[in-house]
Amino acid sequence: MDENGLLLRVTDLRKSYGDVRAVDGVSFAVPRGTVFTLLGPNGAGKTTTLEILEGLREPDSGTIEVFGRSLRRVDRATKERMGVLLQEGSFEPYLKVKEVVALFASFFARPLPVKEVLERMELTEKQNALVRTLSGGQKQRLGIAVALVSDPELLFLDEPTTGLDPQARRNIWDVVRDLEGRGKTIILTTHYMEEAEVLSDDVAIMNHGGIIAQGAPRDLAARLGRETVIEFALAGARPEDLRELEALGTGLSTHGEVVFLKTAAFTATMERLLDWSKERRVALSGLVVRQPNLEDVFLSLTGRRLRE
Amino acid sequence: MRLVLSFALAQLRVTLRERETLFWFVLFPVVLFVLLVAIFGSLGREGTIHFEVGFLNRDQAAGEAGLGRRIEAILEDLAQPGADGKEPLLSLHRPAGTGDLDAFQAREEQAVRYGTHALLVVVPEGFSARVRDALSSRSTTDAVRIQVFRRAGSASSGFALSILRQVIAGVDQGVLASGGRFRAEDAVVVDTVFLGSARGAEVRYVDFLLPGLVLMAFFTAGLFGVPGALLFAREQRILRRYWVTPFSVSHFLAGFSVTHAVVCALQFTLLIVVGRFALGAEVSFASPEAALFLVLSCATFLAFGFFVASLTKTGAAGMALANAINLPMTFLSGLYYQLGPLPGPLRILLSVNPLSYLADGLRRVIGLEGATSPLWLCVLVPILWMAFSLLVAGRRLSWDVGR
Repeated sequence: MDENGLLLRVTDLRKSYGDVRAVDGVSFAVPRGTVFTLLGPNGAGKTTTLEILEGLREPDSGTIEVFGRSLRRVDRATKERMGVLLQEGSFEPYLKVKEVVALFASFFARPLPVKEVLERMELTEKQNALVRTLSGGQKQRLGIAVALVSDPELLFLDEPTTGLDPQARRNIWDVVRDLEGRGKTIILTTHYMEEAEVLSDDVAIMNHGGIIAQGAPRDLAARLGRETVIEFALAGARPEDLRELEALGTGLSTHGEVVFLKTAAFTATMERLLDWSKERRVALSGLVVRQPNLEDVFLSLTGRRLRE
Repeated sequence: MRLVLSFALAQLRVTLRERETLFWFVLFPVVLFVLLVAIFGSLGREGTIHFEVGFLNRDQAAGEAGLGRRIEAILEDLAQPGADGKEPLLSLHRPAGTGDLDAFQAREEQAVRYGTHALLVVVPEGFSARVRDALSSRSTTDAVRIQVFRRAGSASSGFALSILRQVIAGVDQGVLASGGRFRAEDAVVVDTVFLGSARGAEVRYVDFLLPGLVLMAFFTAGLFGVPGALLFAREQRILRRYWVTPFSVSHFLAGFSVTHAVVCALQFTLLIVVGRFALGAEVSFASPEAALFLVLSCATFLAFGFFVASLTKTGAAGMALANAINLPMTFLSGLYYQLGPLPGPLRILLSVNPLSYLADGLRRVIGLEGATSPLWLCVLVPILWMAFSLLVAGRRLSWDVGR
């Protein structure tokens, strides 16, 4: 760790595939014991950035400082202190759960006891089950168990909850919170805005290979001001309808049939909006009033939503 | 070492738990062994086959007195097409005119050795006179001999020999008619010389087949096992789970090699046990040379598997390529049967096929001569293949998706 308490510092990282710049000058720093999230839509460059940091890919240029050492490429000694959950990665289907964890434990010099890891990930009951018989959530827990078995100081979790049901997702969130409580440094990627808000100390929003905004989730949302977002669906809206609606607040954007109307004077805008809907005889279905979130930050920066 | 062994143990568990893999790599060679012995172990007792037979009559006696000539006449008769246009039982090859008889014999021996001809029959000089002397003395102590050269382990050669014995018996009957109560079976003794057997005795098919099946099993484990496991693990992104840990490609290669060696040892043990105790094989692999060839075979096919894996991007393509390679390589190897003469292009394929050299070499060091290549070549060609395979695999093989 350097004198600033940083566990990881990435400077001007670049990686291209032919003409495509997958990672384009990415820089960030992660203090020890925090959760840092790379948030962005698919193809933003999150996974490539993480794969470089995990040692799966070599950057074209840029520097990585981790555990106080400057590296061109992640080496074996660094991997001893890291744990990785890959976005796409599976295990031998004909191995049992405990055999998988034991196999990965054997790769490290000072692993945690297999039993302890299985208990922590609530896999004890499934320890004798073959990998091929596990559900998606159980496989993801096994992936995290394997990432934890080295008792890592730095943990990479690449899209840890993608494809999981809400309950399984919240279980993974509990695990991440628990790990942070144990002083682990976690680097997370997700395209779930809520996940980033709930889990992260710091968020870097990525788009087209670069970081377009970075900071604590609350600070990022605060950049949009103290405005309120009124969100509703409007079927068959004409251009003149949208122009009239925009005049009711301080800004307007749409995504399909969904309209996002921002306002600094919520009560007045709401009254005028309801009057407008009565006059036009149109229904404002699915109306939601909320504070700005990371989704709105991304929308305001890129003009599109995270999951487009 | 700990990493390598734990990985090898995990791989072995996967192999043994995957029933299909277990069947094709371990049980199938045994099933094939039993089937081939059952079907071809008794070849020659039935069936119609055409034989190429060399005949050299060194007996100078002419006319009715010439017994060698009588045998030749019967063989000539058998070499005539049937009345219904059927192919004759045999083609007779004799020296042209009064050419060099020794050179003819040498050529014919070579033809038998290479499987081109089924038999070479040599009637020795003074044969007729010795038969008549034996008849006049009514002695059975000094039987007159005919030399027959046949190929060790060749079923068709054995069948042709049994036909020749019938011919000799026919001549004996003729001799009997003129010689009184002489025992026909003692009159002329057929001396059989086995070409291609270091032990100087007939090689039973089960003994001939066993080393071939061992190599086939090793070959299958390498050709299908390596690309299957490697490409599947790459495709399913199992490999990349390893690469984010201190476990490296060299650990993987070492562990994978240990697993492959254990699978080969398992295949070998099972085939030997079944061969020995169920099928009565007598051939022994208990020599340092045999062990060397077994290790060489195991290593060559492991490297060959990596080579095949390096040529394709997906597991399905890898299996298709392995299938496409498997048939011609095993067909043109002499693993299951002695190869006869091949047309030009196939001869070229045979000459570069590591399987045929390993089969030749292994059979030679366990006492089944049969080899047409010198022993050093039987070692060198597989080593060259191994080096070539590793070189190509080292340059082309990708260890992760999208690399």
